[in-house]
Amino acid sequence: MTTSQRWQRILIVLGCAVIAYAVLAPLTSLDGAQALNLPLLTDKLWFRLATITAMFVVMATAWNIIGGLTGYAAFGNVAFFGIGAYTTGMLIAKAKWPFLLALPLAPVAAAIFAVLVGLPLLRLRGHYFAVASLGVGVAVGELVQNLDYRGEPIFGGASGLFMPIFAVPNRDLYFFYLMLGAAGVSIAVTWAVIRSRFGYGLIAIRENEEAAAVIGVNTTAYKVAAFALAAALTGLAGGIFAQWNVFIDQENSFPIAYNVEMILMALLGGTGTVFGPAAGAVVLQLLIQFLSGSLPITLDLPFVPEDAMPVLAQVVLGVLLALVVIFAPRGVIDFFGGRSRLTIAYLRRSLRETSI
Amino acid sequence: MKKHILALLAVAGLVTLACGSGSNQGAQGSTIVLGAPLGLTGSLTKESALTKQGYDLWLDWINKQGGINVNGTKHPVTIKYYDDTSNANQSAVLMQKLITEDKANFLLGPYGSAATATDAAIAEQNQIPMVEANGAAQSIFNQGYKYTFGVLSPANKYLQGVLDMAATLNPKPTKIAMLSADDNFSLEVAQGVNDYATGLGMQVVVYKKYKNGATALTAEVQAAKAVNPDIVLNSGHLAEAIAIHKAAKEQKLNAKIFAYSVGPSTPDFIKSLGKDADYVYDGSQWTPQVKYKSQFYLSVSDYVAAYKAKYPGEGDPDYHVAESTAACLALQRAIEKANSLDAKKVRDALAALDVTTFYGRIKFDSRGINTFKPMVVEQIQGGEHHTVFPSDVADKQPMYPTPSWDQR
Repeated sequence: MTTSQRWQRILIVLGCAVIAYAVLAPLTSLDGAQALNLPLLTDKLWFRLATITAMFVVMATAWNIIGGLTGYAAFGNVAFFGIGAYTTGMLIAKAKWPFLLALPLAPVAAAIFAVLVGLPLLRLRGHYFAVASLGVGVAVGELVQNLDYRGEPIFGGASGLFMPIFAVPNRDLYFFYLMLGAAGVSIAVTWAVIRSRFGYGLIAIRENEEAAAVIGVNTTAYKVAAFALAAALTGLAGGIFAQWNVFIDQENSFPIAYNVEMILMALLGGTGTVFGPAAGAVVLQLLIQFLSGSLPITLDLPFVPEDAMPVLAQVVLGVLLALVVIFAPRGVIDFFGGRSRLTIAYLRRSLRETSI
Repeated sequence: MKKHILALLAVAGLVTLACGSGSNQGAQGSTIVLGAPLGLTGSLTKESALTKQGYDLWLDWINKQGGINVNGTKHPVTIKYYDDTSNANQSAVLMQKLITEDKANFLLGPYGSAATATDAAIAEQNQIPMVEANGAAQSIFNQGYKYTFGVLSPANKYLQGVLDMAATLNPKPTKIAMLSADDNFSLEVAQGVNDYATGLGMQVVVYKKYKNGATALTAEVQAAKAVNPDIVLNSGHLAEAIAIHKAAKEQKLNAKIFAYSVGPSTPDFIKSLGKDADYVYDGSQWTPQVKYKSQFYLSVSDYVAAYKAKYPGEGDPDYHVAESTAACLALQRAIEKANSLDAKKVRDALAALDVTTFYGRIKFDSRGINTFKPMVVEQIQGGEHHTVFPSDVADKQPMYPTPSWDQR
């Protein structure tokens, strides 16, 4: 057994243990465990962090289908998140539907929208598609906030939408599992896509779209389907987010920053892979939360006044991301599974690859 | 051992996360922990900094007194701040951290309506009272939440004071041109005017909405000029207020009253408009000239002096600062009245609170918002801010009517 295989096994075992802990431990977090003062997983902060992380796992994994597999740099996926959020939000707040009935319509609405905008947009290539999709992402948020009908905002306007707080015992646990389920679904969907004829078609499009068309791939249909699939998964996350967060408005449902973050997560983890974006989402989200001070571990740096920490955190985040994109273009997932090792030689090779 | 360093780090991070909790579980200390996520970085940095000044000003004072008096024991106070990067979703995470990890006894509000709305839901689910000073949107208070209290007058009252004042003036102005940015707060301000004007025998003859942050507002001003209004009102922010006032001068839009919801109270307004800023009115939550009789804490003049001593070079305290301090005062008085640190008891005491402070009366209606404090009206006279209405707290008479542009 080579060293790398041994490492691979150790990491798999460790990974499974971490996942098992994450999935099962919350069950112990109910009253009994709380009374015993068991650490971390008994508290609501953990649930909120874990739910938000799972939410980004969904978004990064979904982005990977259009951005990583198909090679179309979609910069406006947050539109689907917002559409999902507003679909459930409107059905709950205005039509008084129960949450579980409203939720399945979130991915449907997002996918329909993706088909409609995908048909014209996916004719564009490269930067043109990236910029046009960003435009769509911004425009949808503005429309949602500003569309009026007879002087009354249709979607709650600038006041946003409030939903009733979802009445279910162990609410935090409930939404954690729901979001974790959505993350599981998106990873499973990616896994299935990569192994299917559809997936090969997408990869062919990424590598050479003309050639793919010549060998009989219906490129338009494939691209639109990939876009719609990504939209549906992102919309699902948005739908869960709406009821979990209780309040939605343009600012929290269409945050432009999420566009960038989900792409960074996919890049960080490794685009085009099954688990890469998920790994990237976990790593980057934990880093963001750590730097903003919401993790239970804190960092005291000498020579840095406490006031300067938030600013420093933003700078560190930016520098780290730049370093990763330059030196580890295949993402951190590349180091798992024994394909590559983090060595100076690897970094130098990466640098050669990413430079022009 | 150079291999897999990154991979190991990632796993190590997770493990540390899994193990590193359960702090702050010690015996109930006598220190009262308050908490607030604020936008220390991001787009709301300036307003968040003012909010923090207001909180800190009270914090210094109360700890100089030895703390908050509960059952004869003085409890010192700390306020825990986090940076929510001006992002409402992050504000929610940090609120939860304040509650679970830092065991905050009570919460102070973040800055901005979106963050306040999100955090109100968190406070409600955790049943920890949150007293906020920077989310005036009424929608937050229409959800039936029991644990959120706002010390400011709701948005719809912002320009109603100007109308009340206008009704007392001679000749009485009647025709209103209403311009509004399209954000939540500004629209509620405008709606408040639309609802209120007819009751005073005035009419809104033109109502124009524009994109929040727009500074090319010539068309809107033209539309106002077309109806020859007595009163020009704007509900928006500083940049829009300046743009409208400049356009009004260029187009010789002469009205008897120019009043803007937000903007004229800041020094930048006078700085960029110079003499043209004179005669402009604004509705304000508070001004440094008001004459409220404080039942506890500092008098208005002592407050202004304390602010200038702690933050030299920043001029008079802005109303953001005052309302933030007022949120702390409401909480302090409620804890004293409840004579307990129990969240439920303090909530009930907040609901029953009725005090007058340097900031004015603080009393919450059944929804938890302070509808009992009037907005004051300021006017810029000779390059200085003066409070002109209501007359019992005013330091000057309104200069009325505003002369036409070619006569100044």
